[in-house]
Amino acid sequence: MDIKKVEKAVKKKKADFPEQLIQEITEAAKRHELKAGELDELVDTLKKAYERAEVESGEAVGTVAAQSVGEPGTQMTMRTFHYAGVAELNVTLGLPRLIEIVDARKKISTPTMAIYFEEDYAEDEEYVRTLANRIGKITLNDILMDFNVNYASMTLSIEIDEEQIEEKRLDYDEIIKKIEKAFKKVEINKNLLGFEPTISEAKHAIRELRLLADKVRDLQISGIKNIGKVVIRKEGQEWVIHTEGSNLGAILKMEGVDKTRTTTNDIHEVEKILGIEAARNAIIREAQATMEEQGLTVDVRHIMLVADMMTADGTVKSIGRHGISGEKASVLARASFEETGKHLLRASIRGEVDHLTGIIENIIIGQPIPLGTGSVGVIMKQRE
Amino acid sequence: MTKSKLTRFERARIIGARALQLSMGAKPMVEVTGSLDPIDIAIRELKENVIPLEVRHGPE
Repeated sequence: MDIKKVEKAVKKKKADFPEQLIQEITEAAKRHELKAGELDELVDTLKKAYERAEVESGEAVGTVAAQSVGEPGTQMTMRTFHYAGVAELNVTLGLPRLIEIVDARKKISTPTMAIYFEEDYAEDEEYVRTLANRIGKITLNDILMDFNVNYASMTLSIEIDEEQIEEKRLDYDEIIKKIEKAFKKVEINKNLLGFEPTISEAKHAIRELRLLADKVRDLQISGIKNIGKVVIRKEGQEWVIHTEGSNLGAILKMEGVDKTRTTTNDIHEVEKILGIEAARNAIIREAQATMEEQGLTVDVRHIMLVADMMTADGTVKSIGRHGISGEKASVLARASFEETGKHLLRASIRGEVDHLTGIIENIIIGQPIPLGTGSVGVIMKQRE
Repeated sequence: MTKSKLTRFERARIIGARALQLSMGAKPMVEVTGSLDPIDIAIRELKENVIPLEVRHGPE
């Protein structure tokens, strides 16, 4: 029983199933070794169930979605309002995260990435570790064995820990090159380095030296922009890198990275790098993961509706004053949400016209609303 | 529009419109036996697909 056969059976019954459902039918058919006749019967039954589950046109899906996401949201408030550590990395969870998603924040509070690897590299610990050190931020401070500030001679001397370099799989020559580029007055004697501050005025000498000390310690010798700490974890058979901070564009360019599974939780970054459809999927995935993590299950279709509304214009928009609600065509609809005075005043200045096509406008003026029965018009049949 | 099955909203709207016509004196398109309630008559008319009304969607 292959997928082609199932597709044919589905087509014969004139059922309009999504790809995933066809896949599931195929698997079920294989598992139970269905004969052709039995498959037809299965498709028939499924078609009935599928059509029963579809919403009818005119249903208030938006209201139902809002309630279905909102009610579990109230439970979240009570349970958590802070961070939870997932293996040394802090990730915003619960209600704050959900708010972040629907607000479509440009700067999210804890961007993270999960970097997966292609088959050939996934089980190669050595390769993953090397890459992790190229990705994660390493400062000079991380590979120091000794650090001395000498106020008498106004110099700074450091000793680099070669074992650390070995362990972190860094290149010694590259580090030296970076140091030489960043600091001019530097003496290099194997792994002992001496620095001298550039002193412009004698009375600021001590401050200059201290500034230099901080600068030396904070010199970044490895890592990708915007990415901080990395954590390497074994998940099942394969090695996965989790990062603090996110830079999807740069990571996807690296060799061995699985471009289909590697993700970030920064929705705007997904939009920029992979496009609006990917952003929609990211919203759905993030929102659902947030709810599920709290032990709440919300039907995906509600979340999909939210994601669709946020991305339908081709860019990720927030829900609320600055996004969807604030950009509605109707003055009355906008005024009924927030900033009533502002909208009414502006509309009067511009001479805006309200065509009363939406729901809120019609409620305000006391007419039947275009929803449910109200969305259906009746005309006389033409006489034959 | 020739969609075979009406949504529950369309059904309600058509029955309502037809019942109003009946209550104002329109001639029933089915034999009236039993209930004289215009809504009941409209429902029977819809069942037999003889209501001279059609649904339309969207703004006028």
